[in-house]
Amino acid sequence: MSTGALIVLLVAVGVITFLYRYAMIGLFASRSLPAWLHALCRHIAPASFAALTASALFVHGGTLSIDLGAPKPWAALVAALVAWRTRSVLATIATGMAALSLFKFLF
Amino acid sequence: MTTITAPARRARVREFLAGCRDEAPLQLGVVPFGMLYGIGALAAGMPAWLAQLASAVVFAGAAQLVIVQMLTSAAGALPIGLTAALLNLRHVLYSASVADYVRHLPRRWRLLLAYLLTDEAYAVAILRYQTASPGKDQAAAAADTVPGVDLRHWYFLGCGLTLWATWQLSTAAGLLFGATVPPEWDIDFAVPLTFIALLTLLLRERAGQAAALAAALGALAFATLPYRLGLVAAILLGLLAGVWATRRGEGAR
Repeated sequence: MSTGALIVLLVAVGVITFLYRYAMIGLFASRSLPAWLHALCRHIAPASFAALTASALFVHGGTLSIDLGAPKPWAALVAALVAWRTRSVLATIATGMAALSLFKFLF
Repeated sequence: MTTITAPARRARVREFLAGCRDEAPLQLGVVPFGMLYGIGALAAGMPAWLAQLASAVVFAGAAQLVIVQMLTSAAGALPIGLTAALLNLRHVLYSASVADYVRHLPRRWRLLLAYLLTDEAYAVAILRYQTASPGKDQAAAAADTVPGVDLRHWYFLGCGLTLWATWQLSTAAGLLFGATVPPEWDIDFAVPLTFIALLTLLLRERAGQAAALAAALGALAFATLPYRLGLVAAILLGLLAGVWATRRGEGAR
């Protein structure tokens, strides 16, 4: 993406995010939120993170490539186990990066 | 302008500093994310000045990491914008949650507090609002210092500015550090690793599991859609699955 397009994108996301934050304080101050919005918001984060993780591991250059000889999926698996046990973001990143170096060396 | 008495000014400063102090412990968790964003942004090919500017303009950690990850996988501007817009939708809920407490403030205050309404600032500020003398009249409720005057927006401001400063500084630290990391370290892999860590924290309830599983499978199934629009389709599929699982869970009870 060109730098110009990236600037437009970031400003657009910034404006949208600000409008979300200002929405009920300033724009629609007298209205209440529909129940479905609460229900939907609970699922957005897990769905986004799962889609991006699966894509980072198994989609390369716009094509699906499930390659079990590649080091990244295995490093991700080690990281997921550590995340499950420790619930620590830092420990997950540290072990995942260490596992990636190890598997790149071994495979 | 009305003149401000010295005790009133001291009460404001005290409230502001209380906000800064209560927000401080959360900074420990924020710094790694800010640094990771800075490092990832460089690895994704963003110019450093633009990455720093984005931390001020967007000012939303999860969305900024998602943008970086999607840039790394060469996504188009539209899918990135849609995904970030979806991910940040929760801020409308925060906005609704604080609306009753800030409605009486002048517009410049509401604009400023809206800009500072992040996950972490909300989490601390809402506690201050909800724990102060419940059941009483709101203006009177916060009058621990000056009778009849609600000063809790100064506390909110303290929370928000503390987080803002940490986010800008940790982004800068990440950009400085990221420039020294050799490319063969695959440092950009730290971003999906972060998503894995956050996912395990979010997967305690069954509806979240259904949403995540459907979105992950969708990301593989729609991999060939142009501009990575498959990611947006996958997230929408995940939302459908999550809502469906919640309904089914309620029906079974």
